[in-house]
Amino acid sequence: MLEQMPVWTELRRRFDAASLTGQETRDAIPTFWVPPERSLEVLHYLKEDIAQPYRMLYDLSAIDERLRQQRGGQPASDFTLVYHLASFGRNEELRVKVPLRGLSPSASSITDLWPNANWYEREIWDMFGIVFKGHPYLRRLLMPTTWNGHPLRKEHPARATEMGLFQLPEEKQENEQEALEFRPEEWGMTRTNKDAGFDYVFLNLGPAHTGTHGVLRLVLQLEGEVIRDIVPDIGFHHRAAEKMAERQTWHTYIPYTDRVDYLQGVLNELPYVLAAERLAGIDVPERVQVIRVLLCELYRLANHLVWYGTFAQDVGALSPVFYMFNDRERIHNIMEAVCGARMHPNWFRIGGVAHDLPDGWDSLVRQFLSYFPKRLDEYDRLVMKNPIFRGRTVGIGAYTTDEAMEWGVTGPGLRATGCQWDLRKQRPYSGYDRFDFDIPVAHRGDSYDRAVVRIEEMRQSCRIIQQCVDTMPAGPYKSSHPLSTPPLKERTMHDIETLITHFLGVTWGPVLPAGEAAVPIEGAKGQVSYYLISDGTQNSYRTRIRTPSFPHIQMVPYISRGHLLPDLVAILGSVDFVLSDVDR
Amino acid sequence: MRWWRSGASPGPDRHLDPSLLPGQPVLLARLQDLIAWGRKHSLWPLNFGLSCCYVEMATSLTSTFDIARFGAEVVRGSPRQADVMVVSGTVFVKVAPIVKRLYEQMLEPRWVISMGSCSNSGGMYDVYSVVQGVDSFLPVDIYIPGCPPAPHAFMECLVLLQEKVGAQRRPLSWIAGPQDVQPLVMPSRRDALRERRTAQADYPAMDTLPLTDAIWRRPGERRPGENSPRTKPPSGT
Repeated sequence: MLEQMPVWTELRRRFDAASLTGQETRDAIPTFWVPPERSLEVLHYLKEDIAQPYRMLYDLSAIDERLRQQRGGQPASDFTLVYHLASFGRNEELRVKVPLRGLSPSASSITDLWPNANWYEREIWDMFGIVFKGHPYLRRLLMPTTWNGHPLRKEHPARATEMGLFQLPEEKQENEQEALEFRPEEWGMTRTNKDAGFDYVFLNLGPAHTGTHGVLRLVLQLEGEVIRDIVPDIGFHHRAAEKMAERQTWHTYIPYTDRVDYLQGVLNELPYVLAAERLAGIDVPERVQVIRVLLCELYRLANHLVWYGTFAQDVGALSPVFYMFNDRERIHNIMEAVCGARMHPNWFRIGGVAHDLPDGWDSLVRQFLSYFPKRLDEYDRLVMKNPIFRGRTVGIGAYTTDEAMEWGVTGPGLRATGCQWDLRKQRPYSGYDRFDFDIPVAHRGDSYDRAVVRIEEMRQSCRIIQQCVDTMPAGPYKSSHPLSTPPLKERTMHDIETLITHFLGVTWGPVLPAGEAAVPIEGAKGQVSYYLISDGTQNSYRTRIRTPSFPHIQMVPYISRGHLLPDLVAILGSVDFVLSDVDR
Repeated sequence: MRWWRSGASPGPDRHLDPSLLPGQPVLLARLQDLIAWGRKHSLWPLNFGLSCCYVEMATSLTSTFDIARFGAEVVRGSPRQADVMVVSGTVFVKVAPIVKRLYEQMLEPRWVISMGSCSNSGGMYDVYSVVQGVDSFLPVDIYIPGCPPAPHAFMECLVLLQEKVGAQRRPLSWIAGPQDVQPLVMPSRRDALRERRTAQADYPAMDTLPLTDAIWRRPGERRPGENSPRTKPPSGT
C-alpha cells in the first residue's frame, strides 16, 4: 500500500533503499524510517525541494521503544523521533521516524529548518532526555528546572503517590522561587543596549496574571513600552495527559481527553475515539456520526463564546462577556440535558456515543437556533463595530500564510491569513461531507481578522447544527462491532456473551490490535490529533497529543515584537488558547 | 449579628443617655459583631485560577448566577487586597510554590476555598506533576467537590464560608483582649444534611431537564414531571 503512494516513489528516486524503510500504519498517513545520519537531508528535501512540499512541521515527538513487544519489523530503536509533516498542496501528511540507540541518545536539531521545532525539541529533552545538537537553548520546557528524571521514559513513575508525600517547607519554597528567577544572559539577551545607551526593563507577566488566561508566564524585554522580545515559560499546567494514557485503559482514558482543552468538550474526545476506532477497525453507524457532529459544533460555539467574551474584556469592553457567558449557559443547558455534564461531557465511546439523545432534544436545539444567530448580529454591533475595539486589534499581531505554516499555526489563526484550510472540508471525517457549510476566511491575519473568522465560524456552526436537527438519521447509537466499549446495553441484557464483553470492557478494558493511528480533526482552536500506539494490550503504549495551542503560544513572541505592551494582551486574547491545551 | 436601633426618644437600651444621641436613630451593635458582619458580606476573592474550575468560578460572576448577590464580585488582582483565595483547579508541582507565595502575600484575615477534586485531593490526577491536595501546604477552610463543581456549588460553599466568617471572632486590637483567632469547627455537610436527606420523599423524575433550564422558562411555566414547585406561580398567570 505504501509503495503505491506518490511520495514513496519520489523519495525512492532521490534516496537509496538503505536510507528509507516503509512502515504500514492503520491510518492513511505514509510513514518512513530514516537513519539518524540521513534525517536532516530527508527532512530538508521534504520541506524545500520536493514538488508540493511538506511545509508544516505539524508535530514532533518521541517514543520510548524499549518495552514494546510488537514492533512488526520496524528498524531497531530504543528511542524513536517522530516528525509529523503536513503538505497543504497535496492535502497529505507524512511521518518520518528516526531510530536512536542507547540510554542517552542524541540527534541533530532541526530548529534551522522549522522555527517551531524549538519547543518540540525542548519538550522531548524534558520528557525523554534526548539531546538535540545545535539547539539554541536546550532546557526543560514543561517540568520545573529542579526536576529529576524524564517523565515519559518507561522507568519514570507515573503516580504521584509512588513518589512520596509532597511537601513545601520554607527552604524548598525558596529554592523553587529562586529557580524561577529570570536571568536574561541565559537566554542570550542583554540587559543594556550599549549603542543607544539605555537599559531594558524586564517585566514578569504571570503565571498569576489576569491577562494571560491562566498560568502562563511571559518575561518581556521592554524598551519603554515597546516589546523587544518575550520569553514564555510554560509547564505550569502540565497535567501529564500522555503518561496517563499509558496507565488508563483505552476506554477509561476518554474522561482525560475532555480536560486537555477544557473549553472544547467533546472536540477532544473525537480525535481520540476516531484514532481508537481506526486501530480497532470500527465503522460507526450514521446516527453516531451525526450526533457527534452536532455535539462538536455546539462545543465549538461554547468555546468561541468564551473566547469572544474574554477577548472583548481583554481590550477593555467589560459588558460583552456577560452576554456571551449567558449564551454559553444556554448551550450548557442542552449539554446537561444530553449528557448531564457542563464542561466535561465524557460522552463519546469507542464505537459510538454513551447513550442516545434524550426525548425532546430537538426542541431544545431548535429553541437555541432560533435565538442565537440574532444575538451574533447584536454582538457585531456591540464589539466588532466598536471603534475602540477596532483600534486595539486592527493591524495588531499580524502574520502571513507563509509565516503561519512555518510556525505550525492551524485553525482560525491560519484561515485569518487567507488560507482556506479546514479539515472538515479538506479531509471530511465523521460524515462532515454530508453537511453544507462554508469555510470563512479573512485576509490581513491580524487580531481583528482572527476574530472575524471565528464569528463567521459560529454562524456556520449554527448552519451545521440546523442540518443535524433536520436530518438526524434513525438507527443505533453504537456500533455492533465486538470492540465497541461498552457494547449496546440492550443486547447486554439478553445474552451472556455480550454481558461478559461488557464486563471485561469496563473492568479490564478492551484490547485493541497492535498498530499505530492518528486522525487529525479541526478542533475549536486548530488541528488536534491523538497519535495512538497499541502494543496489543488494554492500554496505549504511547499516546501523543498534538494540540493547537502549543505552536500558537510558541509564535506569540515572534508576532509581538515591536508592538506596545497593551497590544500583547490583545494578541493573547486573539490567539485563543488555554494552558491545559499548551502543557497537556 | 445582634443589633438594635435607637429611636429619637429613649430606646430599649436604658444605659444610653439620649442626650448623647443625635436627632436621628442610630444602629447599635457590639463592635466585634459589626466587623464580623462586614467581613462576611464583603469576601473579595483573589483573581487567580488554575484550570477548568476557574471557568466555572468565572461563570458564577456572570449574570445567570450573579455572585454579586453575596458581595463577592469584587475580584482583586492583587493578593494584598483579597480576602479569599479560591484554589480553582489542579495544583501542579511547578505552580505550588507560586500558589503558596500568593497566599503569603494576602493579609490576615484570609481564607482558602479548595475548589474541585484536583485541588481537594489530586482527583483524577494521581500523576507525577500534580500535588495530591492543596491542603498539603495551605490551610483550607472549605472544600468543594466536583470536576468541575457547577457555579451553584461554588456559591453554596461561598455562603457556607460566609457563615463561618460571620461567626468567627478575632482580636480587635493588638493590645487589648485575647490575641488568638477563635477556632471554629464546621460540621461536615454529610452530618448537617443527613436529616433533610433522610426525610426527602419527593424526587424529581429521571428525565426532567436540569434546574438551570429556568433560563428558558416563562414566569410560572412548569415542566412535566415537576410535581411540587417550591414557589407558587403568581396568581393570574
